[in-house]
Amino acid sequence: MTEQPIEIDEVSGFLRRHEPFAYLDDAQLALVSRAVEVSYFRRGAPIVRAGDENRYLSVVRSGAVELRLGGTELNSRLGEGDSFGYPSLIRSGPAQNEAVALEDTLLYRIGKEAFHRARAENAAFRTFYDTDEAARLRRAVDAMRAAREGEAAVGDTLGAHAPLSSLVRRREVVSGSPGTAIREAARIMAEQDVSTLPVWDGGRLAGILTDKDLRRRVLAPGLDPGRPVAEVMTPDPVTAVEDTPILAALLVMADRHIHHLPVTDAGGKVVAVVSSNDILARLGSNALHIAKEVASATDGKELARATAQLPQALAGLVGTGVDADHIARYVSTIGEGAHRRLLELAEAELGPPPVPYALVCFGSLARAEQALGSDQDNGFIMGEGFERTRHDAYFEQLAQRLSDGLDGAGYRYCPGNIMATNPAYRRTAAEWEAHFRSWIDSPEPQAILESTIFFDMRALAGEAALVDGLRQTVFGAARDNRIFLSFIARAAAVTRVPLGFFRNFLLQHDADEGDVLDLKGQAIAPIVDLARTHALANAIPATNTQERLRAASEAGSLDPDAARDLAAGFEFVREVRFRHQADQIAAGQPPSNKLDPASLSRFDREHLRDAFRLIRRQLDKLRSDFAGGLM
Amino acid sequence: MIFGSREWRFARRFAKAAQVAPAGPLRAYYEAGHAHFSTPVEAVEMIAIDLETDGLDFAESAILEAGLVGMSAGRIRGDAALRIRFRPAGALSERSVVVHRITDDALADALPEEEALPLLLGHLAGKVPVAHFADIEAGFLDAACRRVYGAPFVAPFVCTMQLESRWFPRTRAADGLRLAKLRAGYRLPAYRAHDGVTDALACAELLLAQIAHRGARELVLDDLLRR
Repeated sequence: MTEQPIEIDEVSGFLRRHEPFAYLDDAQLALVSRAVEVSYFRRGAPIVRAGDENRYLSVVRSGAVELRLGGTELNSRLGEGDSFGYPSLIRSGPAQNEAVALEDTLLYRIGKEAFHRARAENAAFRTFYDTDEAARLRRAVDAMRAAREGEAAVGDTLGAHAPLSSLVRRREVVSGSPGTAIREAARIMAEQDVSTLPVWDGGRLAGILTDKDLRRRVLAPGLDPGRPVAEVMTPDPVTAVEDTPILAALLVMADRHIHHLPVTDAGGKVVAVVSSNDILARLGSNALHIAKEVASATDGKELARATAQLPQALAGLVGTGVDADHIARYVSTIGEGAHRRLLELAEAELGPPPVPYALVCFGSLARAEQALGSDQDNGFIMGEGFERTRHDAYFEQLAQRLSDGLDGAGYRYCPGNIMATNPAYRRTAAEWEAHFRSWIDSPEPQAILESTIFFDMRALAGEAALVDGLRQTVFGAARDNRIFLSFIARAAAVTRVPLGFFRNFLLQHDADEGDVLDLKGQAIAPIVDLARTHALANAIPATNTQERLRAASEAGSLDPDAARDLAAGFEFVREVRFRHQADQIAAGQPPSNKLDPASLSRFDREHLRDAFRLIRRQLDKLRSDFAGGLM
Repeated sequence: MIFGSREWRFARRFAKAAQVAPAGPLRAYYEAGHAHFSTPVEAVEMIAIDLETDGLDFAESAILEAGLVGMSAGRIRGDAALRIRFRPAGALSERSVVVHRITDDALADALPEEEALPLLLGHLAGKVPVAHFADIEAGFLDAACRRVYGAPFVAPFVCTMQLESRWFPRTRAADGLRLAKLRAGYRLPAYRAHDGVTDALACAELLLAQIAHRGARELVLDDLLRR
């Protein structure tokens, strides 16, 4: 029996069940529990007023509290286990938020001395109350990455992020030179049991000779095996440095339809050749097969069968810990392949195009950020010699086949009719330019909102120069038009990014509590819009969001910290999206971008809130930088 | 102090009891005095108390445990909680073992009544005790003091059960004034019952909720006290 005061089990037990108190050791928790003062506030009662001195870290024990910045603007709503008051303690300044009891509320208030002591003694506790949400978000992205690498080190099927060098079993590489006789090269390959022979010309990798080259270019046509290798090799092969992640190599191979990849060391010396089979054996996934099957499909049905496996492949990639950016690039690669193959098949049927043209795609596919369930957004840019009356019938049919094929393959018809089947999107370069000019020169809010995806464009097939030329002209004109830029910035800032979560709901700025989080519309699109606005303002040719952010930072348009934070936020929200889609696929549901906030883990909720806050801040900045704050 | 007022009558009972208290812990308790009934509520030092007992008969049943939680300035203090275990003279009834989860092991650090009571009185001295259905706590403490010191126990009790029916009169179910029921009505969290400290905390929180919902300005101690 002692006469010393004891901890109140209900208090310490409650704290122990909630972050960040769960991180404290027994002695630290006892110290904090004893520093608790319990208060009760009736619904509507003020707890702290903005501008007042605050002496406590407050934790909601039961009930709910609303924070309003400066007493007016809704900042957040807090439920059981949530805490507030720490920013003013850390700053040792007055409270910036007004705290009001939203319901009858029982509050634990922890004296500032105990709060500072716990922060000093416990790093996890300190980190949790970091007031810099960008830093928190970056740590979350790092933690996810570390978790992936941890899994990769343990798991045997994994290693999408492992370097190519981990696939290389032996490092001596036999090689030939361009003058080597085909017969001699084949003998070396047979002796060494390799299917690929690098061909060196002095210090330069001139080509590779593969089994397939021997079959197709030597044996089948009956070529004299005494001829030099240079005549039948695959010249100027794509290579990869040995520290390239396996997945990145896979994407290159899927994209270029190649099956062998010479691996070089940092000095450019070939140390090995890896085959697609080596990678597939490692990944154990059908990821590359889909690309192959799409590229070799003989009709729309075969192609649709191949793309139908995409959801499973995505779930597999998520499961093996592939990051969001690579997954999006992979999904985009398949999408691109589907467009190309369908055009090839259509051209084979309809005959070659009468004039040069380019297939241009818009939106997420153009940005290489496609997810599952995207619809198609495409158009044709007609090249030299196009005469509508003579040639358009051909392109109309071509577009119809492409569009129908895409729809069959899961890329639904565009509800906004942004498809080459629409005559408005089969235009000559000059007509396209005029179309863009009308948006830029006389901007209207509604037209701008509907036109933004056109500024994300990429050639998928045909004359890429037509697209590049158009982009250059359009972006040049956009950069020089402040009024247009202000409209674009306003359109971006129109998105209402949520404030965060309250209980199992999404909290919006107007105090609405929604039960659906649209990850695409409410978190991903605003970052895409931000990046696009900076790209337009600086005539940045990149289309990919991460690349645009980097380029905007280099151009001085975007603060480097902001660029880095937005990139981390972009990665995080897309990661949440792909994990969510993988879960839906596993549950046999169609993948979507909408999720129930109740299904989010506490980790995801906390960091999504950080991401929301960061995006809102950058949208505000965009508004003041480009739209003169007049909104 | 107004002649004939509630405080005057209480002060007389308090002084009379002090006169018959023998020198020692109970005398010391009375010498600490009591708060004036006109003191604003926020300035009153209170202590929520819950006794776990072996039965409901003050004279026959034994106190097993006292749970205490201090309150000051209208707040419950996390650094002023205390548990004092009493060792009953006889064996524990099976029922109280089950209800209070008090086992022989827990009794190892329990004190005989004559040692436990002085500790408890020391913590109550000068403060306003708060209990839910305070007649029980008042009755048991009085019986214990009479047993050990041959003198009565007088304190200005606040009873949250009585306060509820006085401040918020309405028709209720038979068990409508039970602690857990009332707490739920104030949206206070559900606790595990029959632990002295937890029950004292539960009662202290209920008092804070009642005061907040009463919404009156300038409440004084007299408004709260058991009638």
